[in-house]
Amino acid sequence: MLPSTIQWYFPRRLNDAVKLIQKDGVILHGGGTKILEPQPRSSVKGLVDIGDLGLDYIRASGRSVRIGAAATFADVVRFAREKKRLNILGTSLSHAASTPLRNRITIGGSVKDFPMWSNLYAPLLALDARVVIAGMQLRICPIEEYAGSDLIHSRHLVKEIRVPERSDVVYGIKTFHVVRFEYPIFTIAAAVAMRKGVVREARIFITGVRRKFARLTSTEEVLHGNAITGRLIEEAAGKSSFSFVPDFRFSAEYKQRVARVYLKDLLREIKQAAA
Amino acid sequence: MKISFTINSAKVELELRPHETLLKVLRANGFTEVKSGCEEGECGACLVLLDGKPINSCQVLAMSVREKPVTTVRGIGTLHLPHVLQKTFARGGADQCGFCSPGMVVAAYGLLQRNPRPTREEIAEALDGNLCRCTGYVKIVEAVYQAAAEMQKEDTRTE
Repeated sequence: MLPSTIQWYFPRRLNDAVKLIQKDGVILHGGGTKILEPQPRSSVKGLVDIGDLGLDYIRASGRSVRIGAAATFADVVRFAREKKRLNILGTSLSHAASTPLRNRITIGGSVKDFPMWSNLYAPLLALDARVVIAGMQLRICPIEEYAGSDLIHSRHLVKEIRVPERSDVVYGIKTFHVVRFEYPIFTIAAAVAMRKGVVREARIFITGVRRKFARLTSTEEVLHGNAITGRLIEEAAGKSSFSFVPDFRFSAEYKQRVARVYLKDLLREIKQAAA
Repeated sequence: MKISFTINSAKVELELRPHETLLKVLRANGFTEVKSGCEEGECGACLVLLDGKPINSCQVLAMSVREKPVTTVRGIGTLHLPHVLQKTFARGGADQCGFCSPGMVVAAYGLLQRNPRPTREEIAEALDGNLCRCTGYVKIVEAVYQAAAEMQKEDTRTE
């Protein structure tokens, strides 16, 4: 629970917001759903609201889409459906939480927070998104580097996510959850570039694993330079290894088995989409 | 402290403390039609429209939305001037204990503002943040579907 003495700040300039969060006990407030989770928050002294920073945009320019940190999951889902772009991102986020919560959960907050059950990270990793970070300097960072380093824990503001889209790439996503809008057990997302039926490059990621995310490089190596056949799919999925944490719903072994099946299904869907 | 809000199209001064949720502030200031259910964003009993979009008022800090218009179920329809949705809910047996109904009406209203002709699947998706322990949801979905049809008829008549 937040202390009753918290101080609110409503900066109108990015630099002011960045300066404010350098103070001890002062944190960012976007949608606010994370802040209201039932956990001790007695150390929070101030909240910096990002509502007046003009970061609630989604702009398509050429082959890339720029998503402002204050854009909500609902905004991205609507954009994906209306513009028929960022489909794996829109699909994944449409299963996150519920309709009213998607109207509050912000992209920037979810990128910075990266919960274990994230619907957001797998598609962004497969899409090779870039994170624009406003800290002591403005910096653009591949999301794989951002999520895997200490940078994610530093005092900064996520300003924007930049998502490139390529016409030579086939995208796919599969999420394992017990009911549609439950927290996902895991999500696998893939981006496979092909030319004349042969795989030129592949980015395949899984989230919900022990270290939050993993790139399935062994699977990618099997695919690279080959046409996707049923036999190749079996071999590629066989090379994948996942490290899951057991929980009250499923053992780690069960999750691994299901993940392997889902990976094969995903590769079959990509093969079909590329045909 | 007292902060000015716009609730149901009227400017009001609400007494609040900086760490309080919109749900707590609304109820403490007389807007008790906004129900307190789980207070964890799961049940939807506390739904209000914020700038036309349904949100869980238990998951929003009041100070962060002080400059945005808030609509509660009373801003959609009242006992003496019920909205079409409220009429179809009552007629169709879509409320039993009635506790989830304000949240359901807010969610449905938010949907119909964006999508005046939703399918039953779209209605179910729009209500995915609202739990009901009494009805089994079928009559609720039908009530929204019926309300959409009646609103379409009214619009055609007035054109």
